[in-house]
Amino acid sequence: MRRFGVCALLGASGGALVQGGRYLQPNALYEDPPAFKADPPSSYAVGSTTVLIDKRVVINRDPNGFYAISLICTHLGCTPRYFPDVTSDLIAEGTQIARDPDTGHLATKSNPVLPGFKCPCHGSRYFRDSVNFYGPAPRPMDHLHLEVARDGKLFIDRSIVVDRSFRLKV
Amino acid sequence: MRVIRAAVDEIYSVIEQMVGAVFRHGLPLTDKIAARTTLTNFVLHIHPVRVRRSWIRMSYTLCLGGLSFFLFIVLTVTGLYLMFYYVPSTNHAYQDMRDLQFVVTFGGLIRNMHRWAAHAMVITVWLHMARVFLTGAYKKPREFNWGVGTLLLLITLLLSFTGYLLPWDQLSIWAVTVGTNMAKYAPIAGPYTRYLLLGGKIVGDNGLLRFYVLHVVGLPLAGFLLMVIPFWRVRNDGLSGGLGPWPVKPANGSRHGSEPRRGGGSGPTTPRWRSVTTVTTR
Repeated sequence: MRRFGVCALLGASGGALVQGGRYLQPNALYEDPPAFKADPPSSYAVGSTTVLIDKRVVINRDPNGFYAISLICTHLGCTPRYFPDVTSDLIAEGTQIARDPDTGHLATKSNPVLPGFKCPCHGSRYFRDSVNFYGPAPRPMDHLHLEVARDGKLFIDRSIVVDRSFRLKV
Repeated sequence: MRVIRAAVDEIYSVIEQMVGAVFRHGLPLTDKIAARTTLTNFVLHIHPVRVRRSWIRMSYTLCLGGLSFFLFIVLTVTGLYLMFYYVPSTNHAYQDMRDLQFVVTFGGLIRNMHRWAAHAMVITVWLHMARVFLTGAYKKPREFNWGVGTLLLLITLLLSFTGYLLPWDQLSIWAVTVGTNMAKYAPIAGPYTRYLLLGGKIVGDNGLLRFYVLHVVGLPLAGFLLMVIPFWRVRNDGLSGGLGPWPVKPANGSRHGSEPRRGGGSGPTTPRWRSVTTVTTR
């Protein structure tokens, strides 16, 4: 009987602990929803980079289509900023920068300027197409699913991560 | 008449009983009562009853534990003051912090005391642990105390971390984004821990409130409960600090020790109210 009492007490305590953990887990979040609409495709020029800083999303338009980048540093989650030149200071220091595997772009002494992103927290750098080339970032930033909504606007879903080769042709 | 006198007597006896329950040893009218009152009371005598002189050398303890406790008190009091003006919501937090700094009378003083005491406490707790480690004070029979000490160091650091978010400026937000993302890298429980800590996926209103609750109630309470243990253990186990001489008995062998005992191996029983005892001994 005594053993049963001890077991019951332990069980009840454990249950209370687990349920306490469940209580602390919110069932509904009132955060910004993951999916949102941007401008219609025609408002983005070919070759343009558009930073939606509040949404932490970048919309790139290349000759072969649109793609969206989640502007969250893959190191520890800060927001990288866009700069038209993220390479020339490294080139001037003599740092070797690898070729961008996706676009084939290469910063050299004769052509040192490439656009991209710099993270303010620990200095990770990314090419314009989200591939990391400098600093502690372990991998390229995530690419997000996007499509054209019925009203003709771009529709970006931040909860769906897609392959880096994903392009939306319009 | 008789009834009134009986009632007054009754009231007196009740009051006497209540006073006696609080001051259980009576007035310290003799050295013996004074010593017994002090030595049997944890609050009045935080050290063990017998203390070797080598234990309480300033150059040995450097007062680091006491300093840490003092800073904890400072942080509690100044934190209480700050709570009167600070609202933990993303709409108010930053403005309230600025108000404290620039509008509230002595707000800047209170906030800076809180801030600098927090920095200092991390340093003193760290140095205290370093001192305990380097003097071997963690060894038997004080291993348990060392364990509690590591937890207290952890709580001190967590208090600093949770307090970091509260001003809600860019530094806070991104520092906590980085910190919680580090937690996410932990195996298995990592992402769950981050979700629980922030109450969401980003550092937002839920996260601010959670950090606030942890900062002002959860962690200080845990810290206080854990802090009591080392104090009590030190009283029970004695301090480390080698085998210096025990306090010397008074040379003339008198029960009270008639010499003024300034720093002269007095032991813990030095009564401060000797004049009282000499006059009113019954």
